[in-house]
Amino acid sequence: MVIQGAALHVVHGETGERAPADDAATEVATPSSPNRVRIIDATLACLARHGTLKTTVDDIARQAKVSRATVYRAFPGGRDEVLSAVVDTEMARLFSALGVRLGAADDLAGALVGGIVEAATRIKGHAALHYLVEHEPEMVLGHLAFDESDRLLAAASRFAAPFLARWMSPKEAGRVAEWATRIVLSYAIAPSDRWDLTDAVHTGHLVDTFVLPGIRALHATEVTTAIDITPFGSGRGPGAGDDPAPGSSVGTAAHRPIT
Amino acid sequence: MDDTRQRILEATYACVARWGIAKTTVEDAAREAKVSRATVYRVFPGGRDELVSAVIAWATLEFFARLYEQVRGAESLEQVMERGIMFAHRSIIEHEVLQRVMQTEPETLLPALTIESVRIRDGIAVFLEPYLEQRGVVVGVDLKEAADFLARMVISYMSAPGRWDLEDPAQVAQLVRAELLAGVVGPELPAR
Repeated sequence: MVIQGAALHVVHGETGERAPADDAATEVATPSSPNRVRIIDATLACLARHGTLKTTVDDIARQAKVSRATVYRAFPGGRDEVLSAVVDTEMARLFSALGVRLGAADDLAGALVGGIVEAATRIKGHAALHYLVEHEPEMVLGHLAFDESDRLLAAASRFAAPFLARWMSPKEAGRVAEWATRIVLSYAIAPSDRWDLTDAVHTGHLVDTFVLPGIRALHATEVTTAIDITPFGSGRGPGAGDDPAPGSSVGTAAHRPIT
Repeated sequence: MDDTRQRILEATYACVARWGIAKTTVEDAAREAKVSRATVYRVFPGGRDELVSAVIAWATLEFFARLYEQVRGAESLEQVMERGIMFAHRSIIEHEVLQRVMQTEPETLLPALTIESVRIRDGIAVFLEPYLEQRGVVVGVDLKEAADFLARMVISYMSAPGRWDLEDPAQVAQLVRAELLAGVVGPELPAR
């Protein structure tokens, strides 16, 4: 799983070895180089103040307290490469935080609420993202519309599905993970004045009211698991032993029409 | 007056279809509509920016007017949602102007479309409410909350189908009847 791998890699860099002295001669520009993380975090701070258009390599270097040469050594592609690394890193950080929440959940409702609240909270508190939505909306919206949003849904649900597969078949888990992602995106793009998804009580209400009954009904329409009516939230559900390989549920086995 | 407005919007849309949003000028729109520049500015005092927002709103409204034609004869909540999602999904894929603009200059369209989407959501919610009322919602479910939630999900699915094949009526039925409606009107697995 590429994304998960990337998450571990980058996050390890973030909290792992200490940053070396700013000595250009000893730097090694590997993807996990602490300089990269330092530069990425500095770029986030710049983006939160000036957006992408007005952030230069000089700004980034100054903010990171490194030389321009150090920035270019870590990111030979310069500004564009830094910006794309920022996106990858922030996605990886989001996914790794989600992994922690999903992995720690005791039941399906807990996993859904925990995951949605975590994602919503990180989106809401993301200063750089807010600046961009406000001042350079096209930078952000391009990832949330039509085909691009399909890609984002696929990545997020590929990541989350194996966690949910503790309680359902991999195919169902893929759909449910995608559904949860849609919910997060919908309320992030257009917040509701009734429901704040960063609030576990609100999200719990939404999950209990609309999502869990939907999952149960979806479950009942799946031919392979139709006999088992183990309530969700009461431990390992049907399909727990299935291979939770990511993506294995996409477009496989003809599904059963409702008859 | 309204006639002129309509004519200018149609003309602007024709220009956008030909050249894209960024390259369409007030002059182009005026020439296509066979009116003077002054007339365009009289109807759209904000000039090009106002014209572009207006044409996006107009095209969106046209889209939903066609969608409305498709679903208004539906007999049940389930049917409205199934027909609506399938038709909207197909129309988006087959919408040549939308697809071309999304490929070549998404940045000119998306901010306006995102603003439109809030209006669209409210419109879908209001449209669904009487169907929900007729069908009856589960005890404890707030009808307006449910309509808003369903409208959000309809917008999400019609623009990005994800793992669902929205060309397949059986899958759409499963999506609507099981996933989306089970919590709102109760699980329903009827003979079809």
